[in-house]
Amino acid sequence: MHIIIWIIAGALLPWFPFSWIFNRLLVSAPGAWARALAVLVLPQLGLLLLLKSGAWMSLGQEMPQTLRALALFTAILYAYRAAGTRDVQIWARLMATSGLSLTWLLVGLLPRYWDVQFFVLAWSIPAALMLLWAGILTQRTGGSYLGLTGGFARVMPRLSVLMSLTALAATATPVFPNFFALLQAMASLPISWMPLLLLVLLLWGWTVGRLLQDLLFGIYRGEPVDDLSVGGTWLGGLTLGVFALVGLFWGGIWIIN
Amino acid sequence: MGELAIIIPFLPVLSALIIFVFMPKARKGAARISVFLTLLTFLLALVELVTYALGGFSRVEIIGTLWGSIWLDPLTLIMWSFVCGISLLVHMYSVRYMVEEANYTRFFALLDLMTATILFMVSAADLITFLVAWFLVGVVLYFLLGHDTDRPAAGRYAFWTQITYRAGDVPLWLAAFILIRTYHSISLPDIFERLQMHSHVPAFWGLSVPELVGFLLAFAAFARSAQFLLHGWLPYTMDGPTPVSALMHAGIVNAGGFLFNRFFPVFEHASIVLHFVFIVGLITAVVGSAMMLIQNDVKRSLGYSTMGQMGFMVMECGVGAFALAVFHLIAHGFFKASLFLGAGNIIGEAREHDGVPSDPVYTSIVERRPAKPSRLPWLAAAALTIIVPVVVLSLSHLFVSTRLLHEQGVIILLFFGWVTGAQALFATHKMTHSNPWRLMGGILGSFVLVVIGYTLISHYFGHFLYPHGGAYQLYNAASINIVYFDVLVIILALLFVGAWALTFLADSSGWWDRADQGRWRGVYLAMYALLSRELYVNDLYARLTQVLLNGARRLNVLLRWC
Repeated sequence: MHIIIWIIAGALLPWFPFSWIFNRLLVSAPGAWARALAVLVLPQLGLLLLLKSGAWMSLGQEMPQTLRALALFTAILYAYRAAGTRDVQIWARLMATSGLSLTWLLVGLLPRYWDVQFFVLAWSIPAALMLLWAGILTQRTGGSYLGLTGGFARVMPRLSVLMSLTALAATATPVFPNFFALLQAMASLPISWMPLLLLVLLLWGWTVGRLLQDLLFGIYRGEPVDDLSVGGTWLGGLTLGVFALVGLFWGGIWIIN
Repeated sequence: MGELAIIIPFLPVLSALIIFVFMPKARKGAARISVFLTLLTFLLALVELVTYALGGFSRVEIIGTLWGSIWLDPLTLIMWSFVCGISLLVHMYSVRYMVEEANYTRFFALLDLMTATILFMVSAADLITFLVAWFLVGVVLYFLLGHDTDRPAAGRYAFWTQITYRAGDVPLWLAAFILIRTYHSISLPDIFERLQMHSHVPAFWGLSVPELVGFLLAFAAFARSAQFLLHGWLPYTMDGPTPVSALMHAGIVNAGGFLFNRFFPVFEHASIVLHFVFIVGLITAVVGSAMMLIQNDVKRSLGYSTMGQMGFMVMECGVGAFALAVFHLIAHGFFKASLFLGAGNIIGEAREHDGVPSDPVYTSIVERRPAKPSRLPWLAAAALTIIVPVVVLSLSHLFVSTRLLHEQGVIILLFFGWVTGAQALFATHKMTHSNPWRLMGGILGSFVLVVIGYTLISHYFGHFLYPHGGAYQLYNAASINIVYFDVLVIILALLFVGAWALTFLADSSGWWDRADQGRWRGVYLAMYALLSRELYVNDLYARLTQVLLNGARRLNVLLRWC
C-alpha cells in the first residue's frame, strides 16, 4: 500500500522518474490559468496524501539515503535540463520540478504541517506566476519561445520586468521565500551532502542567466505587440512584493527550527 | 548613535523605492533624490567613523528579530565611508553622463540598490544577512551591467559576471553552514569567539574546520576579485556603462579583500590557506599585469590592470598583511574610479589627435623602442636601481616599528616594493633627457614620499582595524620555515636581477628583432596568439558551456521535454 502512495506522491510532489508524470499533467492542462492552478494544487495534494496516510512521518527523523539521493538527483537533473530550453513555459515547469523535489529532503524534519505546506508554496507560487506570464506571452506573440525574437525589454518592458523578477524568485534569489527554503533544505543535510544541493544553486544561476539573456537583450525582431496593462503590472508587482515580504519574515522560521 | 547607524544602509533603499514607485518618469527629480540621499549616507557614514575614531567601540545593532544585524566595527565603518564616497562620485558623474540614455531613472534606482546591498554586505553581523547581501550584489550588478538591453554583448558579459559570482557563492554557502553547524550560531562575533576557543575541530580530508572554511572562503573571494581562472568576466565588464565600470572596478571587485578581513579569525588558524592564497594572488598579479601590457583598448587595459591589482591585494592577504589589503583596496578604488571616469575624455582626446605623441616616456615604455644610450652612467643607474628602493623601504618600516621588519610578510612586501621601485628606476634609466640626474632625483623623491606615506598610513591603519594585535597574529599564521623562506627570497631576487640584466642585454643587442625573423618566429607568433586570445580561458569556458548545453538539449528530447 505504501508503495502506491509513494508513487502517487512522487507524481504529484515530483521526484524522478515520476516527475515525468507531474510534467505531463501540467502540459495537458488546458491554458495558462489551468497550468498555474495545477502547479499550485498538485504538489499540495501530494503532500496531503503523504501526511494523511502517515507515510511522511513513518520515515521518522532519519531520512533514508536513497530518498535523499533521489530528491537531489531530481533537483539537479531538472535544473540542468532547464538550462537547455528557451521556452518560458517549459522552463517554468522544469524549474518548478527541480525546486519542489527538495521537499523530500525535509521528510520527518518539520513537525508542523503548515511549515511543509509553505515550503512547497515557496516553489509553486513563482512557477505559477511564470506560467501565467508565459501564457500572456503566447497570447501576444503566438508562443513563449524566446529564441526567435528576443529583446522583449524594449517592446514589452512591463511584462519583461515581471518575468525577470519571477524568474529570480523561482531560482532562490533573496529576499524571496525560496532563498530561505533553500537554506532550510541545506540545514537538513549532513555537510558531506551539501555540495550536491549547492550544485543545484549553481545550475539555477546558470538557467536564470540564460533565460534573462534571451528575454531581455538584443533588438526585437517580431511583429508589434502590446505590453501588459498597467493594472496587470501593479497586480503582478504587488503579488511579488507580498511574496518577498513573506520571505523576509519567514526567513526567521528556519532559524527557530 | 545606534539608530543613526541603522538608518545608513536603508537610505539608499529608500531612494531606490521612491524612484521605482513615485518617480519612474521624473528624470531630473530622480537623479536629485538619488544624489542627495547618497550624499546624506556618505556624511552619516563619516560621522559614524569620526565618532568611533574619537573613542567609540565596536558593537552589534539588531535589525530583525531572528536575523538581520549590523556590526559597527572599524572595518565596517571604514568600508561604509569608502563605498559611499565612491558611490557618491559615480552618482554625480552619472547625472550628466547618462542623461541621453534610456531608463535613466531605473539606472539611478539600481545604483542606489547596489550601494545599499554593499553597505549591508560589509556590515553584516550574522551569516544570514551576509549571505543575503553577498548574493544580491551579484543580482543587482547583473542588471547594472546589462543596462543597455539593445546590445546582446552587454547581456552576454553581464551573464559571465553573474555566473562567476554564483560559482563563488557556492563555497561561501558551504563555509557558512560549516561554521553554523560547528559553532552553533549565526552571529559572526559569537562564531569568532568560539572559534578562538575551539580552533582545532577536525573537518574533512585531514583539515581542521578553520582550514576547510578558509579554503572555501578563499575560493569565494577569488571569484569576486577575479583571480586567475575566475577572471574572464572582469575585462569584459567594460561593456556596461562607464559609471558602472568605475563602480565595479573601484568597489565591487574588492569584495575578496573585504571577505578575507571580515573572516580574519578563521585565517589566523589556517596557515596553509594563506600560502595557497599567496600563490594564487601572485599568479593573478603577474598574468593580469602581462595581459594589461598587450591590450590596445584603454578600458580593457584598465580592466586587466584591475586584475593585476586584485592579484596583489590577494597576495597581501596571503602574506598576512590584511590591513594593508584594505588600505590597498581603498587606494586602488579611488585611483581606478578616477581613471575610468577620465577614460572617456582620453578616448575623446585620442580621437581628435590621432598622431602618436612624441613623448619620451611614451616612446620608451609603450612603443618599446630599443634602449637609447643613457647619459646617466650605467653603474650609477644600476646601483640606484638596486640599492635605493631597499634602503627607502627598510628605513620607512624601521621608522614606524622595528618589529615589522621581523615579519616574513613584511619582507615579502618589501621585496615586491623593491622589484617595482627598481623597475620604475630602470625604465627611467633608459630615457633620454637633457638632465638625467634631475629626472632620476625627481623620481627618487617621489618614490621616497610615496613609500614613507604608504608605510606610515598602512601601519596606523593596521592598528585602527585590528586594535587587539590581530595583525601580528596574521603575519605569524602566514609565515613559513625560515630556511625555505630565505632560499625563496634569494632565488626570487636572483631571478629578477637576472631577468633585468637579460632584458637590458636583449634590448641593446637587438635580440627581439632577430627573434621575430629567425627560427623563433613560430614560438613568437604562438606566444602572441596565446596572449592576444587571453590564454584561451574564455574560449575554454565557452566550449564547456556548449558541450553542457548540447547534453541538456539531448536529455530534453529524450525525455520529451517532461
